[in-house]
Amino acid sequence: MAEPLVRADEVTKVYDTGKLEVHALTGVTLDVRKGDFMAIVGPSGSGKTTFLNLVGALDVPTNGRLEILGDDLSALSKRRRADLRLHSLGFVFQAYNLVPVLTARENVEFVLELQGVGAARGGRAMDILEQLGLREFADRRPNELSGGQQQRVAVARAVASRPKLVLADEPTANLDGENAETLLTMMRGLNEEHGITFVFSTHDPRVVAHARRVVTLVDGRVAKDQAKSPSPFSAEQSKRQEE
Amino acid sequence: MRYSISIRYALRSLRRHTRRTILAVLGISLGCAVCLFMVAFVRGEGKMMLKAAAESGAGHFRVVPARWPQTRENDLRLRQWRSVRRRVHQIEDVKVVAVHARKEGLLAFGTRVAGVEIVGVDPNAEQVANRLVRHIAEGRYLDAAEPGTTVVGRGVAERLDVGLDDPLMVTVADAAGQMNSAMLRIVGIVETGSKDIDATICHVNLPEVGTLTGLAGAGDLTVLLDDPKRLEYAVKELEAGLSNDCAVVTWQVIVPELASGVKVDETWTRLTVAVVMIVVFLGIMSAQLAAVLERRREFAVLSALGMKSGRLISVMLIEGLILGLAGSILGLIFGLPAAYYIATHGIDFSGMYGADMSVSNILFDPVFKGDFGWWLIPLAFELAVSATVLSSLYPAWFAIRTNPAAALRVEH
Repeated sequence: MAEPLVRADEVTKVYDTGKLEVHALTGVTLDVRKGDFMAIVGPSGSGKTTFLNLVGALDVPTNGRLEILGDDLSALSKRRRADLRLHSLGFVFQAYNLVPVLTARENVEFVLELQGVGAARGGRAMDILEQLGLREFADRRPNELSGGQQQRVAVARAVASRPKLVLADEPTANLDGENAETLLTMMRGLNEEHGITFVFSTHDPRVVAHARRVVTLVDGRVAKDQAKSPSPFSAEQSKRQEE
Repeated sequence: MRYSISIRYALRSLRRHTRRTILAVLGISLGCAVCLFMVAFVRGEGKMMLKAAAESGAGHFRVVPARWPQTRENDLRLRQWRSVRRRVHQIEDVKVVAVHARKEGLLAFGTRVAGVEIVGVDPNAEQVANRLVRHIAEGRYLDAAEPGTTVVGRGVAERLDVGLDDPLMVTVADAAGQMNSAMLRIVGIVETGSKDIDATICHVNLPEVGTLTGLAGAGDLTVLLDDPKRLEYAVKELEAGLSNDCAVVTWQVIVPELASGVKVDETWTRLTVAVVMIVVFLGIMSAQLAAVLERRREFAVLSALGMKSGRLISVMLIEGLILGLAGSILGLIFGLPAAYYIATHGIDFSGMYGADMSVSNILFDPVFKGDFGWWLIPLAFELAVSATVLSSLYPAWFAIRTNPAAALRVEH
C-alpha cells in the first residue's frame, strides 16, 4: 500500500457563527494515499468542502489531528501553511477562479513566479498548457475561453507547481458532459503518468465513475470508504518514481 | 520589457475599472496641484518678505554690540567696527556691509519740531543695502565728502514744512545727558510710497552722529548676502572669529514680527497641504478598499495558491504607487502652469491694502509673487506618491486578513 499523504484522525471542525455552532466535521478518520484518485461524496452540508479546506491547509481543525505530508497542520504557522500550499498542493475550484485580468499562460506563470521560478517559468507554463491542449489559447484571458477551457487552465495552474496533491472542489459542476469527460480523462492521465494524487469533492456521478476510491461523508463523518480499483501507485512504484 | 506577473496583475487590476482609476488619478492630481500652487505661493511670499526686510535696512544679519540683543539700546557702539567689517567682507557671498549709528533726536525748523531716529550711514554702502533711500523724490542722496547734510522722508519734510536746502536744527542728548545741536542742510527728500516709513527717515553721514552724541564707533554693521540661503553658514562662520564684545543677530531677531508672520504663513500652508492630502488619502483609501472588497474572492484564490501576505501587500502598494505616479504627473501638468503664473504675474494686493504696504518700517511690494523651480517636481512626486502608497496600506492589511476558506465558502 502506498504511503499516506494525508492522515486524519478524529478530525472535527466547528464553525462558531456567534449565535450557534455548526459542526461541519464530527470525527473524521481517513488517510489519503499517494496516487489516490479519490472522490468524496455526500449530501449538501455533509462536510465535503470543509474537509477539502482542511486538507488544503486553508483552515485548521477544531479538534483531532490532521497530518499533511507528515506535518501536523495545527502546529503550522500561517506562513508555513502558505508554503505548504504553494509547494505541495494544487487547487481546482468549481467556479474556475482564474485571475480575470491575466491570460491563461500568465495565470499558470503566476504560481511559478510565487514559487520563485525565474526566466524558465514562461516555458514551463507553455509546456503544461500544451500538454492539456491549450497552447492556442495561451494568450487569451478567462473571459475569452469556454467553461471547459477555463477549467483546464485551472488544472494547468494547479499542477504547474508540481504538487503532490491536487484538491478539486466540484470541478465538473459547471461543465457539460463532453467537457467534464475531457477534464476527468486529463486529470486521470496526470494521476497515472505523473503520480499526482487527486481528491475531489463532488456530487457528480461522472467523477465518481472515474474515481478509484469513493469516500462518502454523512453528517460530518465517514459513512463509507470504498476502493473501486487499486491505485496504480503501490509503495514500490512510488519508491521507484521518487528515485 | 517584460514585467513580473505581479506588476502586470497590479497594472491590469487598475485598468479593470478604468473610470474609477481615472477619477482616483484626477483626485490625486488636483490635490497635488493645489498643494504645489500653495507651497509655491507661500515660498515665494516668504522669499519676498525676507528680501523686503533685508533691503529695507534690516539686512540678512547684523553685527551689533554684545548687549544689544538684550537691551536694544541705540547708545551702544562697536568700537572696532572697521576690523569687524574687514572680517565680514572675508565671508563668501557677502554683497554689502552697511555701517550705522542710530540716535533718537529732535528736528526743528522754525517753530515746528519732529522726533525721529537719526541714522548715521556710509552713503555709498547704504545706497546698495537699503532700497528705501533709492526712492529719492527730490534732490539727491548723501555724499560722504559733504558734512552737515541730511536726507529726510517726505513725511518728515511735510511735518516740518521744509524743502530742499532748508536748514534743520538737530538736537540730541549726548552720553553725559547734555543736549547737543547742529545745523543740517536738506539735500534730498525720500518718498517710498509708505507714509509710515516716510515719516521716520532722517539719514546723516556717520561721523555726524559721533560728533553729536560723543559716542565713537558704529551701532551696527548691517550685512546683505547675495544668496540668503547661505545665511546660517555665514553667521556660523562669522561668529567663530568674532570677539566677545560683538554679537550676530539675524533678520528674525531684528524684525521678530515679520519672522513670526512668515512662520504663521508657513504653518497655515503646511496645515492646508496636510488637510488636502488627508482628503486625497481618504479618497484613495476608500477606492482601494472598495477594490479589495470586490476582489476578495480573487485574493482568497491567490492565497489558496500560496501567495504570501508580503506579496499581496506589494501588489497593493504597486497599485498605489502607479496611482501616485500618474497623479503626480497630472498634478504637475495642472500645477506647474498655475505656479508659473503666480511666479511671473503674482497676486496684486494693492486693491486690498493700498499701495502703502509696510510693516515695522519694511516696505513691501503689493504684488506677491510665488516661487518656481525644479523643486516643484520632486515635491509633486513626494506628495502624491506618499499619500497613495500610505493610503494603500490599510486596504492591503484588510486584504491579507481575508480568510481564504471563508471567502471561498461564500462562493458556495
